[in-house]
Amino acid sequence: MREFRVALAAAALTLLAACGTAAPEQTTYQVPTAPKADATFNATDVMFLQMMVTHHQQGLEMVKLARTRGTSEQVAMLAGAIEVTQTTELEVMQGWLTGWGETTTADHHPNAHASHGGLPITGADEMAALRKATGSQFQTTFLNLLIGHQHNAVEMARMETDGGANPQVKDLANRITLSRTEQIKQMLGMVAA
Amino acid sequence: MRRLVAYPLMALGLVTASLAIASPASAHGYVSSPPSRQALCASGRVGDCGPIQYEPQSVEGPKGQRNCHGGLAQFAVLNDDSRNWPATSVGSSVTFNWVLTARHSTSSWEYYIGSRRIAFFEDGGRQPNATVSHQVSLAGFSGRQKLLAIWNIGDTPMAFYNCIDLQVGGGGPSPTAAPSPTARPSASPTARPSTRPTVRPSSPAVSPTPRPTGTVPGGAQWAPGTTYRTGDEVTYQGVRYRCRQSHTSIVTWEPSYYTLALWLPI
Repeated sequence: MREFRVALAAAALTLLAACGTAAPEQTTYQVPTAPKADATFNATDVMFLQMMVTHHQQGLEMVKLARTRGTSEQVAMLAGAIEVTQTTELEVMQGWLTGWGETTTADHHPNAHASHGGLPITGADEMAALRKATGSQFQTTFLNLLIGHQHNAVEMARMETDGGANPQVKDLANRITLSRTEQIKQMLGMVAA
Repeated sequence: MRRLVAYPLMALGLVTASLAIASPASAHGYVSSPPSRQALCASGRVGDCGPIQYEPQSVEGPKGQRNCHGGLAQFAVLNDDSRNWPATSVGSSVTFNWVLTARHSTSSWEYYIGSRRIAFFEDGGRQPNATVSHQVSLAGFSGRQKLLAIWNIGDTPMAFYNCIDLQVGGGGPSPTAAPSPTARPSASPTARPSTRPTVRPSSPAVSPTPRPTGTVPGGAQWAPGTTYRTGDEVTYQGVRYRCRQSHTSIVTWEPSYYTLALWLPI
């Protein structure tokens, strides 16, 4: 992981250098605007975004429920940060799909592939399990569900990385892979504590 | 502005090179607490694990094995007892919690210590719940033990393997993690507070102590693995930001469009 970070930093520097004169003047820094997606895309890009929209909505439902229950401060902070960052990601993804003239949700039930293990646990079942959990069991259930949920996000992002065409969507998939992997690290520590 | 959204493809290549070994459909589940060896790798508490750190849910092999890695060469590190895996202190009864990423119909769940099967849960081909936990008695065992937990799939010849290192008795009834004497430095909760840049950033074992609001010195560089409080200020790529919502930082939560709810430029 260290080598990975070093590589990340090195690559980031390369990118910065490549931007060169295009970099904004620091003294006139402005709040960044929503990233735009190129008009070129393929079916994998659309499928990934549609699946991730649904997946994000399920995840947001889980972290919002956690807010109403007693959790440790670390868990509450993580859930809160996931909520706001995934809300922004969700808006970006919906904006790209709409801009392409595509619907923002998959046209089949997300559980349609469950019989061959290709798609994740349904949101309804996750939520039912979570609502049923009480007391100290809630935090354990929440973390184990969200860890599995974020593993699923990484699996879907891998599909986009392998088969997608749009560079911005692939960047987002990369962002999701990195972000969810780090979130899983935090949560595995919390659930084992 | 491109830097705000573009994660370097080089980094992506590194990640996917590690992940490419197993297809997504082969990923299913593992024991998260007490932490299995693959969970310790994925959490960063144990380092140098190889590809298993990215897919702890993928230790799938033919049924009937009695090893930690399902016979998969790329995950052989899990079967290496010389790695001084940290053992979790437990009492005589332990609840094992599973993370599931796909809920295949299930034949059974088995728990072994050595050659002795200490617990067996028959599911008869049912689909498991969204979360699974089993309470297992360790009566008759004490000291350090390597427990093997197996998930036998109902409609395939495959199973999922987890080894869990336990320190039985001599501690409280709750499964709190206790670093073994030979554990890596990063497993020690209080070790080396000044080495933040090199510790694995998001392991709660090394989580920074909570601080009052606004005590990060202004101008400190944003860094992953840091607990920022509302009002804290950081510098990132030459721009100063103020934290809008307390959180422990990770890569991708640095200031950007996606994290405007966490960081506002000032």
